[in-house]
Amino acid sequence: MSKERVSRRQFLSYTLTGVGGFMAAGMLMPMVRFAVDPVLRAEEGGEFIATTQKVADLTDEPVRVDFTFKQKDAWYESDVTQSAWVYKGDDGKVVALSPVCKHLGCTVNWNSNKEHPNQFFCPCHYGRYEKDGTNIPGTPPLAPLDVYPYKEKDGYLYLGKAEPRKEA
Amino acid sequence: MKWISKDVQTFLSAKEYIDTAIVPLYSISLEAELKQSAEAVEFISLLTAQVERQFAGRLLLLPPFTYLKKASSEITAEQLKNWELSLAAAGFQHIFYLTADAEWRRQEEKYDGSFIWLPAIPLESMSDGQKITLVDSQVSQLLPLFTQKWQENQGK
Repeated sequence: MSKERVSRRQFLSYTLTGVGGFMAAGMLMPMVRFAVDPVLRAEEGGEFIATTQKVADLTDEPVRVDFTFKQKDAWYESDVTQSAWVYKGDDGKVVALSPVCKHLGCTVNWNSNKEHPNQFFCPCHYGRYEKDGTNIPGTPPLAPLDVYPYKEKDGYLYLGKAEPRKEA
Repeated sequence: MKWISKDVQTFLSAKEYIDTAIVPLYSISLEAELKQSAEAVEFISLLTAQVERQFAGRLLLLPPFTYLKKASSEITAEQLKNWELSLAAAGFQHIFYLTADAEWRRQEEKYDGSFIWLPAIPLESMSDGQKITLVDSQVSQLLPLFTQKWQENQGK
């Protein structure tokens, strides 16, 4: 038996503090979790959509990558498939361009016009873009192709929402 | 452009660039061929949506021209002729009809527009991935029909 004996009063106050603290924590934790939830979600970056394209398989030749996500149009939810033209630039960085022509929204194709090889070509009004997405003056489009932000996760390519490119 | 207010707005402001109209032709049957008619509608609507995505900036996809399969073909043909005349009057130089109904092949020469006839493929048992591949390959075969037509008229 140790010399310092715990009195009945002390024992009760320790126990009550312990149990009370435990209960208070149980009540406060969910509240704190709710309060910081938006912060945690932002860290996950949920806007990026997985594709089936492996980053390691990309070359300097643009390939079409299709990806599907859910889009809500009023109460009607549907699967939307979008494409991107993806290639590796000279510096090894991935470039993901939106295939939507900046003129009136047709789908542009890579290298499909024999007279203008190695360009993106829009069959609707013969708009053309350089490989880096810059619109070629004298053709209908007035802005460069939109660019997708991208991420690499487990070797696969993830694409975000296409953004208009700032003037270089 | 689709037949929705946002796209139609764009159409009105860029009319000089949009000279092509697509009209899907749906034959409706409520009797024995009900299922085939639904399959055809499903297939053609997927197909037109994909064509629209490719050429959004040059064509307007109209709401489908729907008719009863058992209705007399003269009346249906005349109604479509009316559509064609109105479209031409609205300034569309190229009109394409997409249909799975073989009946139209016999009427083809009465119209200025081009008929694209495709046998309907039942999609019910396919996975989404298979559907996409199938429709994609069909559409990629259709695209030259459009670009050819555009080039022909450009030469004129």
